[in-house]
Amino acid sequence: MSCANWKTEIALYAGGDLGSDAAGVEAHLSECAECRALLAELQEDRALLGELQEEPVVDALAAQVRRRVMAQVRVGRAWPAVWKLALAAALVLAAILAFPRHARKEGHVARMKAPPAVEPVRPAAPPAIVPAAHRVRRRQRRAPVERAQAPRPGPPLLVQFVTDDPEIVIYWLVDQKPEGD
Amino acid sequence: MALRVAVFQETPDRLAQFERIMAEAERRVLRIALRLLNNPHDAQDAAQEVFLRLYKQLGRLDEARGYDAWLYRVTVNVCRDIARKRPQAVALEDAPEPREHQPDLEFAERREIMQRALGRLGEKERAAVVLRDVEGLSTREVAQILGSTETTVRSQISTARLKLRDFTSRLLRRR
Repeated sequence: MSCANWKTEIALYAGGDLGSDAAGVEAHLSECAECRALLAELQEDRALLGELQEEPVVDALAAQVRRRVMAQVRVGRAWPAVWKLALAAALVLAAILAFPRHARKEGHVARMKAPPAVEPVRPAAPPAIVPAAHRVRRRQRRAPVERAQAPRPGPPLLVQFVTDDPEIVIYWLVDQKPEGD
Repeated sequence: MALRVAVFQETPDRLAQFERIMAEAERRVLRIALRLLNNPHDAQDAAQEVFLRLYKQLGRLDEARGYDAWLYRVTVNVCRDIARKRPQAVALEDAPEPREHQPDLEFAERREIMQRALGRLGEKERAAVVLRDVEGLSTREVAQILGSTETTVRSQISTARLKLRDFTSRLLRRR
């Protein structure tokens, strides 16, 4: 076997990676000066590689990495507050999707004004003491106008979402379909 | 979704545990990343990614078994991903000359030559020789970390050592 064929074995032998198979390599090394020189160089290289553990710049680099990682971790710790808002938004979206489609009209989506006490405006019932003839006259006067108008919508629906956070309450006002449809 | 739940379950103890592990392992992770990537900025990016992954996985890893094997494996994988996004390594023949020409090589310069030689190796050979010869792990440990067999790792280590010798001797002959 020529020296070239021993190189692979010698490279392993240099790091003690041959184990019980080392006898053949040792026999060759005992009679080949060139391979002994190669072994010495390989062992020198290994020693130098081991010295690479002592890297002077690592401490400075590590400090920067630590700062960056901890900053990101702390942002992650703030996520629960963000999640409350996200959950609230998801509830609103779910309610919009779940609400019957025909109850939503284009241009009449939920108005998110300040949540007042919602009191549907209804015309007061005519007093019972009004003479029948007078009621007929009023109905006759108003009849053409009522025919031209769209049907009156029902009272707006107030939806209230309560989240885990008592400071976050979501109100949703929804126009309802006209009464009598 | 499970990850998000883990974030919800954040506790001060968990953060303290993470800081302790990072303090113990950060130099080792960075050192390996530096050897595998040969670029301090890439090495920092790699180390950052490794520790963020550790933070996310902390509750799922077996503390009794330690984190070393996991850290080594993830570090090698992250470095591999980063290296693949970069331009390919320069071939041995195309490697530029060292910066200065001095009659006697100082230790720091020999070290630089070795670091440059490591950068010329293929990624698998480089990972194997860094873990075995720089970090001093056994062939079996290296095989476990790289997800390979001991026979394959021995072959990679042998090839890597001979290539390193070839490269460093070429550079020395030029002087």
